[in-house]
Amino acid sequence: MLKTLIEAFALISTWEVIIAMVAASVYGLVIGSLPGLSATMATALLVPVTFYLSPIAAIATIVAASSMAIFSGDIPGALLRIPGTPASAAYADEAYAMTRKGQAELALGAGVWFSAVGGIAGVLSLMIPAPPLAEIALSFSTFEYFWLALLGLMCATLVARSSPVKAIAGMFLGLLVSCVGIENPGGVPRFTFGLTDLFGGIEPIPALVGVFAVAQVMRAMLTPEPPPLPRRKFGSIMAGQWKLTKQYHWQMTRGNIVGIIIGVLPGAGADMAAWVSYAMSKRFSKEPEKFGTGHVEGLVEAGASNNASIASGWVPSLLFGIPGDTIAAIAIGVLYMKGLNPGPTLFTEKASSMYAIYLMFIIANILMIPLGIAMIRIAAYILLAPRSAIMPIIMLCCAVGSFAIGNNMFGVVTVAAFGVIGYVMEANGYPVAAMVLGIVMGTMVEQAFVTSLIKSDGSILPFFERPVAAILAAMAIGALLWPVMVWVWRKVKPPQTAAATSR
Amino acid sequence: MRLPDSVTGSFLVALGAAAAYGGYILPPVPGQPVGPNVFPLVIGSGLALCGLAIVFGIGHSFEEEEELIPLEDGQAAAPPPQSKLYGLRALLPPALLLFYVFAADRLGFIITAAIMVYVTSTALGAKWKLALPLAALSPFAIHLIFGKLLRVPLPAGLLPTPW
Repeated sequence: MLKTLIEAFALISTWEVIIAMVAASVYGLVIGSLPGLSATMATALLVPVTFYLSPIAAIATIVAASSMAIFSGDIPGALLRIPGTPASAAYADEAYAMTRKGQAELALGAGVWFSAVGGIAGVLSLMIPAPPLAEIALSFSTFEYFWLALLGLMCATLVARSSPVKAIAGMFLGLLVSCVGIENPGGVPRFTFGLTDLFGGIEPIPALVGVFAVAQVMRAMLTPEPPPLPRRKFGSIMAGQWKLTKQYHWQMTRGNIVGIIIGVLPGAGADMAAWVSYAMSKRFSKEPEKFGTGHVEGLVEAGASNNASIASGWVPSLLFGIPGDTIAAIAIGVLYMKGLNPGPTLFTEKASSMYAIYLMFIIANILMIPLGIAMIRIAAYILLAPRSAIMPIIMLCCAVGSFAIGNNMFGVVTVAAFGVIGYVMEANGYPVAAMVLGIVMGTMVEQAFVTSLIKSDGSILPFFERPVAAILAAMAIGALLWPVMVWVWRKVKPPQTAAATSR
Repeated sequence: MRLPDSVTGSFLVALGAAAAYGGYILPPVPGQPVGPNVFPLVIGSGLALCGLAIVFGIGHSFEEEEELIPLEDGQAAAPPPQSKLYGLRALLPPALLLFYVFAADRLGFIITAAIMVYVTSTALGAKWKLALPLAALSPFAIHLIFGKLLRVPLPAGLLPTPW
């Protein structure tokens, strides 16, 4: 193990990795702090650049940019009451209330400090349980993989903050997109409509860039510009954070754990972790009446939570190729491209690369403290940049980046098409994350499904015969039936529904 | 572009049915009971069922209204001018991307990109004082990063870059 660790250190201590990491950190901090540009979008736009980097440097950029962006979304949340990324939306009100009480330093400092702590807790979740899980996963057959993939897809629909039916529809849409091309069990052109460009299938990365970046520019066209940030002088940002850590250590730990669990669940990412943790903090607080008036407790817990989910989202991604959140979905695409195909063998055959990923997460979260403090101090200047100057650049990056993926113009068409699809879906309450999961996992689901069907020779029984498969099947079917049961429950008891909706 | 659930639901039913049919008519692998046709069949049927459920409003009660953080007094933004064409502005970004697809090879990257930047910037309310320099400089910056450093073969067209 020590040898692997030294190898991992050697992997990451090259100039390429170090420069890539610092540059991606600055990039993540800037994009995350700009309202309307989310961490997922930052990661998606980074992908074309990762093509030209070595595998470890490519992963380094994704790890650094996503961790930084999730923290830096707190900055405009605290100073402007406009969350920079959706993951900061849960506590933007609270942080802004603290700023008005003259505690902006404390609020932002808590953002940096507990984000870093949360991130490191998330890495632990990646380091400790993942290798033994990989041992178990090595004995999985296609039946287990089929149920696991189905369970992953179902989770994504359960946690969507929207109608589960629409989430399932979104997931099916994504799976349908993955059907396009000749890479199917028969090797025949499927849904290609005679277009040679479609023979290779629809690449997940341009689709993701379209859904997350172009759709965002489209929304910006119709929404008013956020107000500029008032300039202010900050006192010491880290003062008092150690005291907070001691005072709220239990809240912090709870936030970390909740974040890790939510990160592992497919489809649920940092924004969900922050909402759940903030609500939990209020529910279990000794002084819930202080929430909403500028009380730091919820900030501690939710800040610790959303960054923990970033690292733990990589657990199912690395083990099974099932993304824990949308950022991990992009990371999976990059992993495949770099020859680090997700799966349990990654932990046994490429152990040094795994350790390198852990180390990069830890370094990114330590780096977050000095860079984050610097970012807070200059945020006022960066937020001066008007949207009309940023969005055109994003558009150019979308066009060039999607072209660069395959050096053909069809990528740009894909980006444009998925921009429209993402925009229409979002506007009508169809969760985009569910579709993204479908696109990324489609090929794997089909492979597991068809291979299992061939093996079982038309019988359904082998799908349930192996013990692990049976357990996973029960969970997946339970997840499928859960919304139905809730729906029936609400129909049977109408008075409660009224009470619940009027709250 | 908020459409009624009945419209989006019906669209999904049609799409699902088409996908299922499209899968059904695919040639099977000889001697193999399952082939490329099974998965689209399952997906298409599922999608059509979901579409039906959406048309009938099942699951609608789960939807949460988007939580908007209310602006403070004095900060309230002016309501955007509402006209029928206003909503079409959202289609500008994809339209510009398609413009890039068709024009980049002929006009070259720099000119196409400059037009894209200028139009997007102006549409978002920038004055020419900002939009013009931005359109003049940003294509070169992007070309430097992607074309020069990352060696993406960007089309030169009418105006080759100095490097």
